[in-house]
Amino acid sequence: GDSWGIFTFLCAALCNLPALPALNCSEELGAGQSIQQTYDLTRYLEHQLRTLAGTYLNYLGPPFNEPDFNPPRLARAERVPSATVDLDLWRGLTDNARLAANYRAYSRLLCYLRVLDGQVGTAELRHRLTHFCASLQGLVLSIGGVMSSLGYPLPAGPAGPPTPPSTPAAPNDFLKKMDDFWLLKELQTWLWRSAKDFNRLKKKVPPAVVTLRLEARGF
Amino acid sequence: MFSRWNWVAYGFYLVLNICSPDASSGLVQSCGHIIPESPVLALGSNFTALCILNESCLDFGNIYASQIIWKIKNRLVPKEQYREINRTVSSVTFNDTSALATPLTCNILADGQIEQNIYGITVTVGLPPEKPKNLSCIVHQVSRFTYVMTCTWNPGRHTFLDTQFKLRYSWPEEIFPDCIPKDVNNSCTITDIQFFVNTEIWVEATNALGQAESDPLVVDPIDIVKPLSPQNVSVSSGVLPTVLKLSWENWISDAVMTLKFNIRYRIVGDTNWMEVPSEDTASPRTSFSVQGLRPYTEYVFSIRCMKEDGEGYWSDWSEEKTGITPEDQPSKGPPIWRIIDTSRSPASCWTVHLVWKALKPFEANGVILQYEVTVRDKSSLSSPVKKYNVTSTNHTLQLPEGTYEVTLIARNNVGASPPSVLLIPASNSKAPVKNLRTLPKHDKLWVGWTAPNSYVLKYVIEWCLVSSSSDCIIEWQIALGDVQGIDLKGIKPFKCYLITVYPLYADGQGSGQSVKAYLKQDRPSKGPTVQTKKVGKAEAVLTWNHLTVEEQNGFIRNYTILYKTIDGNETVVTVDPSKTEYTLSSLTSDTLYTVRMMASTDNGSRTGPDFTFTTQKFGKGEIEAIVVPVCLAFLLIVLLGVLFCFNKRDLIKKHIWPIVPDPSKSNIAQWSPQVPAKHNFNSKDQMYPEGSFTDVSVVEIEADDKKSFSEQDLKPFDLLKKEKSTSEGHSSGIGGSSCMSSPRQSVSDSDEGETTQNTSSTVQYSTVVLNGYRDQTPLQVFSRSESTQPLLDSEERSEDHSGGADTTEQRQQYFRQNGGQDETNTDRPCFERTKQITHANEEDLVGFVQLQISGQSSQPLGLGMEKNTQEAALSRVLQTCTEGQTVRPETVEENPLSVDEMPKSYLPQTVRQGGYMPQ
Repeated sequence: GDSWGIFTFLCAALCNLPALPALNCSEELGAGQSIQQTYDLTRYLEHQLRTLAGTYLNYLGPPFNEPDFNPPRLARAERVPSATVDLDLWRGLTDNARLAANYRAYSRLLCYLRVLDGQVGTAELRHRLTHFCASLQGLVLSIGGVMSSLGYPLPAGPAGPPTPPSTPAAPNDFLKKMDDFWLLKELQTWLWRSAKDFNRLKKKVPPAVVTLRLEARGF
Repeated sequence: MFSRWNWVAYGFYLVLNICSPDASSGLVQSCGHIIPESPVLALGSNFTALCILNESCLDFGNIYASQIIWKIKNRLVPKEQYREINRTVSSVTFNDTSALATPLTCNILADGQIEQNIYGITVTVGLPPEKPKNLSCIVHQVSRFTYVMTCTWNPGRHTFLDTQFKLRYSWPEEIFPDCIPKDVNNSCTITDIQFFVNTEIWVEATNALGQAESDPLVVDPIDIVKPLSPQNVSVSSGVLPTVLKLSWENWISDAVMTLKFNIRYRIVGDTNWMEVPSEDTASPRTSFSVQGLRPYTEYVFSIRCMKEDGEGYWSDWSEEKTGITPEDQPSKGPPIWRIIDTSRSPASCWTVHLVWKALKPFEANGVILQYEVTVRDKSSLSSPVKKYNVTSTNHTLQLPEGTYEVTLIARNNVGASPPSVLLIPASNSKAPVKNLRTLPKHDKLWVGWTAPNSYVLKYVIEWCLVSSSSDCIIEWQIALGDVQGIDLKGIKPFKCYLITVYPLYADGQGSGQSVKAYLKQDRPSKGPTVQTKKVGKAEAVLTWNHLTVEEQNGFIRNYTILYKTIDGNETVVTVDPSKTEYTLSSLTSDTLYTVRMMASTDNGSRTGPDFTFTTQKFGKGEIEAIVVPVCLAFLLIVLLGVLFCFNKRDLIKKHIWPIVPDPSKSNIAQWSPQVPAKHNFNSKDQMYPEGSFTDVSVVEIEADDKKSFSEQDLKPFDLLKKEKSTSEGHSSGIGGSSCMSSPRQSVSDSDEGETTQNTSSTVQYSTVVLNGYRDQTPLQVFSRSESTQPLLDSEERSEDHSGGADTTEQRQQYFRQNGGQDETNTDRPCFERTKQITHANEEDLVGFVQLQISGQSSQPLGLGMEKNTQEAALSRVLQTCTEGQTVRPETVEENPLSVDEMPKSYLPQTVRQGGYMPQ
């Protein structure tokens, strides 16, 4: 019975192989590829942010540019999505939930970053922020692409260009800088954790496995 | 009336038209327009235009659509293309817009004659844009964080219209600003690009006739990056002499992309690059150790990079960096050879020049500081090993003859080379190579040989440029024992090289085999100068000198002698090149020849200067062959003549040397002592013309024509004859002297014909006849001349001289005078005899003269008789002579000859005329 089943499976797989729609195939194959690409992009953003943050904190000036500056997280900073979730809890989530959380977080972060971009004084920094924003936008798109390639629905949320929701103007310049500081810090944390996520996901969905599963599903 | 008004109105319109500041619009507005306005048309499509006339014009100008004519530029459009739609509208249709041009005008033919422009439009004909093809993009890294993406595409055909190209790119939910190319239509550069997101890129082309879009290119820009080449490349050497470490910096962070590399390197001065295997450098790194390099060698390195997974493009090669590997000990000993000079060293001692070649850089592995030469005498084990430290590449030793082992070591900073060993044997007794030959190969000369039978370690090839002026400077090279030919480099063409190959065995060396070779031959630079060594009648020996080595330019294969006479054909003789002499034969004698000589190599020949020579008229010995026989013949003739003369001497003497009695010896001279005979004789000598002839009065008479003699003249002769005949009987004393006196008397008479006559007639001599002829009765007559005549003077003179020689001379002179006269005179032989006798002995003369006289007298007797009778008579005379005097017998033998001629002589006639009285 078992061997017979395997035999029919193989026969069907062989018969169906040429008939499989190419589009489907490449889409499915692309899941692993897009995960890898998203992972690379995350790493790239981390790398960008490392230099950008240094430059930007220098721009903010002391004490923000001090290496051991670690201010307490103010209540008003809570609107920035925090990545300080317990790691075990985070790992316990499904891929879909994690991807959705990432998607939402980066969408929000991107909104704040664009605000920040508009306020920066120096052209060079603004250019780099713009570039970073564009890259982050790409990451949001990539995550969306990974989710769709894996067959997960995109999380309902602030679709389209998210507008900074009801941002109360900072009472003073220092607090505003504190907001910027925390924004960058949260970004770093998110990117660091996303890289781990995608690395794990990449291993979970190797291209070869995807193909086999596709064939099985086709059968 | 109407038409006049019409014209007026029309004229008004024209004026209005001209004066109006906006004339065209005024006219257009007033009279009509074309639809469509300024169309852009696709090439090849069809097109219809309408000209719509204004109602006002119809009313005012009496103009209708039927009067409309269309024009392109100034060319009328055929009427077939018109169509009158209604009263005010006319259309024109073009099936192919390519016939269109700007402007297209609508005109009206007023009254069928005057053409008036109503309206014109600009027509633009072009093509819609093609779909751009071959879109490709590349991301150039500009700086550490800056990347630009340049996309290029093929814009397609020319559209003749203004066409806009736009490079567009987008993410699935975001469209980026378009990239508008500047100045070009086939590329555009995007300055802000995002990696790791698939980007869709396409090109849009737009013009008035349409829009076209290229196929989209979906790419993650990170996969099309051409990174900057690694920077700050540095080369460092380590401990190992074959390793150099290469370090560099990358422009791209690993977070962006990881890189793989290519490293290439080459030796400085070499053009060929070597490459480190790409799999060794396929991972991200910033340094690499290149191994397997040569020690002490300068290398050039260069590096490039690309994305590790192979997507994208290789960067450019980095700038070149050089590095030198550390030194190592020399890898092999220098090739060594020796040149033994035995000429300049004393006996049993060699001057050995050891020569070796500097190691090549890859063998030396560093800077050679010195060479160590060790010489060991193999023949005597006890002798110490000599060591020399040398910095040059040669060393000269003075060694006694023997067998030596020379060891050479090169030393650099790191260490010493393996030793090179050379055996110097006493003699090259081992087998030489065989079949040594050469072959030119382009600019190299190949030397080949056949190996000897035994195992050869290596071969030494010596070569040198052969020169006539200087010594051969030896160059040499070592070849391994398994090769049987090498290429010699640096060989000059047209030069003679002497190449010698020595095989080196483990226990000695073989004798050298030499060959002469040219890399390239040419014709000689000059021809031989030919000369003659010897020229004969029909042959000439030519000599010449060999050309010098420098002049030969090749192997002289032969000499050619070309010779010719001035007008003759040239004769060609080919001569072996080893000769320096040649004999031309079969030449024509006494002829001018021009000869020249040509030396030929394989590649041509050259002729030397002309030389001319003339062959001799006579051959060797030819003159001798002519002269010697001629001389011999001459001598023979002379000898025969002499013999003849000798045989006939009596006859000859008779003719030219008659005996003249010497008056000084005559008895008469003694007999008349008052006259100094000697004195007379002397004076007679001086008065040669007269005196000398006085002796031979008888002869003179003979010479004269007998007719001239008168009877009277002959009288004295008669007397004389009588005297002679009578004096015969006296053997000495008076008889002799009387005999002598009578000729003397006649001599004085007969100088010339007349003189003789005169003298004979005037001078009186006394004649003493002592005896008659044998048969006759001697007449004792003694008469004496009364006169004291020159004759006496001459007698005196002759006494002064008193030499027999003088008398002889006198007689000779006389003989000469009478040489031409008739020799038939019978007296002549008698005179000759007299002369000889005179020589012999003057004393005897007296008797002899007597004999003569008697002979003379006897001849007339023989006349008309038989010869025998004459001979008999003569023999009788001879007998008489021999009895009385010393007379040589042979003279007598001659007598018969003169007797033959006797009839011609005068004397007998005279005598006959006068007649001998006794007969």
